[in-house]
Amino acid sequence: MIRTEKLCKYYSIHSRHEVHAIRDINLNISKNTFVVFNGPSGSGKTTLLNIIGALDRPTEGKVFIYDEEITSFSDIGLSRLRREKIGFIFQNFHLIPRLSSWENVSYPLIPLGISFRERFQMAKLLLEKVGLGDRLDHAPEELSGGQQQRVAIARALVNNPEIIIADEPTSNIDDETSEHLLELLKELQTDGVTILVATHDAGFEKIADEIYKIKNGRLE
Amino acid sequence: MKKHTNLLLLATENLLRHKTKSIVVSLCIIAILLPFITAIAISEGVRLQSLGSVEESADLYLTFDEFGRNAAIPLKYLDEVKEVFGVKKVVPRIIGRCYLQDKLAVIVGIDKEYLPESTTCVTGRIFENANEVVIGNELAEYFNLNIGDQFSMRGQNRKLFTIVGFFSSASNIWSASTIFMPFEDAGDLFGKREFATDIQIYSVPGHNGEIATELYYIFENEPYRLQDKGMIELYVKKGFMLKEGIFTALYTVAFALGIPAILVASGFGLSERRKEIGIMKATGWQTLEVLELISFEQLLISLFGATTAILLSIIWMKCFNGAFIAQFFIGEINLLPEFAVPAKFLPLPCLLSFFFAIILTMVGSIYSSWRASTESPVAALK
Ligand SMILES: Nc1ncnc2c1ncn2[C@@H]1O[C@H](COP(=O)(O)OP(=O)(O)OP(=O)(O)O)[C@@H](O)[C@H]1O
Ligand SMILES: [Mg+2]
Repeated sequence: MIRTEKLCKYYSIHSRHEVHAIRDINLNISKNTFVVFNGPSGSGKTTLLNIIGALDRPTEGKVFIYDEEITSFSDIGLSRLRREKIGFIFQNFHLIPRLSSWENVSYPLIPLGISFRERFQMAKLLLEKVGLGDRLDHAPEELSGGQQQRVAIARALVNNPEIIIADEPTSNIDDETSEHLLELLKELQTDGVTILVATHDAGFEKIADEIYKIKNGRLE
Repeated sequence: MKKHTNLLLLATENLLRHKTKSIVVSLCIIAILLPFITAIAISEGVRLQSLGSVEESADLYLTFDEFGRNAAIPLKYLDEVKEVFGVKKVVPRIIGRCYLQDKLAVIVGIDKEYLPESTTCVTGRIFENANEVVIGNELAEYFNLNIGDQFSMRGQNRKLFTIVGFFSSASNIWSASTIFMPFEDAGDLFGKREFATDIQIYSVPGHNGEIATELYYIFENEPYRLQDKGMIELYVKKGFMLKEGIFTALYTVAFALGIPAILVASGFGLSERRKEIGIMKATGWQTLEVLELISFEQLLISLFGATTAILLSIIWMKCFNGAFIAQFFIGEINLLPEFAVPAKFLPLPCLLSFFFAIILTMVGSIYSSWRASTESPVAALK
């Protein structure tokens, strides 16, 4: 379902020194698998997930989703892909300040023409699912790190994605909550969702179908 | 359709959520537009009144020419001009200016049967005898004058005038400071008998050309000057265009200063905005949808700013009589007794100011938003 070919991302700093964030990544992930990426800080996990999640373009190489080469998609095509197939949970949440939890969760639905009432219902359901049913009207500034994380998770689920990509989803939450998140993701997998997680959390490795180790931008 | 409604509602919410920014941008728009709208309204109002008073006036104006300016014309030609074929009526006038205490008054010396039609006596009567005058409403109000009161002009106290009536005129710039008196009295007042400042000629339609030819022979070597209604109208219009030009020049400077202000104001929280756009794009928003939302925001704020500016301008005219702005269009306004400055709010300038506002706010936001929404979400989220 997700396939990468010789994926590379270079960053040039001061136009000379190139940082090879990832290089020659070849992946083949089938539908409905639970994949974990593991590696030290700076090894390129975020870079890889951003590219697979259609948030960034690689310097070289190709990404295929359902045998479609998304790396050749236009801006519109990528937006559509993100809207229809991918739910992304960022390492640092990226919630919109001053908007309440439910507004943040339902924000992706606004351009779909879904009514206020429906949006609220959908957001409420998801927030209850992540255990934030009593924090619907709180802005990110009024939530703890772990709670913000959960709002971000609820937002990633709001478009019923087929692929969920989570970048260190448990780095800000305690063991109990991360246990809860693990269950939630497992549950989604049984619903047919493909899950990609970058993490140091050993708990994930136990339930993962596939584990990839990344070091210095390469798969080991 | 539902999508656009959603985006419009969200735009409204966003403006309300970022109150400080919205208020600052609105204030900038208002500060830029208010003088513009007021000036246009005054200039329109004054122009309409002036053209109106030209409309009801004579077909030809005859004066002497001195150094290229209009100069007084001797009355001895009056009878000859009267006899010219095509001339219906000739009216000699004396128009001059004199101080009544500290206010400038326009003296019009004219025979009573030739008083302009739009000038109607609201109280009292038209002058009948020597040294009787009819004065404008505003002037009377300013000096608190009553019928039967006597006064003399500054520096000319040998002549004592008696007020017999007050008038109001369709063009209130004129009525504000005008004093009508018999032709001979005006000649006395200015110490120039046997002269008129101009002779108004009313003609049979289509005979202006012949009259001009005839006058050429009458005046032979005298430096006379003949102007027709169209020319006078043109002068009035030209005068206004000049005044508008001066105002526009000053205004352009203010406008040029206002643009950076708006840019700075709409640039408030630009990095926050950039991040917000990154989040929107990352969660599936299309670039066009992002830009639509932002355009809606600019549209709404412009609409709000422009409407407020128009309302404030109307209030400015009603309550403060166009203070600070009216003097650009009405010379010596401080020397005249107070009168209601004419103003006319036409739809076109109002529409224009709305477009101004849109352009200003769009310039401040669209480019940066477009940049943020076309780069990769990861870059926008940095
Ligand atoms: N915008 C950028 N410009 C330059 N270098 C970058 C940029 N983004 C990432 N890098 C570099 O790419 C490498 C991989 O970064 P990445 O964020 O993918 O690591 P990571 O595995 O997610 O680390 P962590 O576990 O700390 O999140 C790092 O060495 C980093 O310095
Ligand atoms: Mg990372």
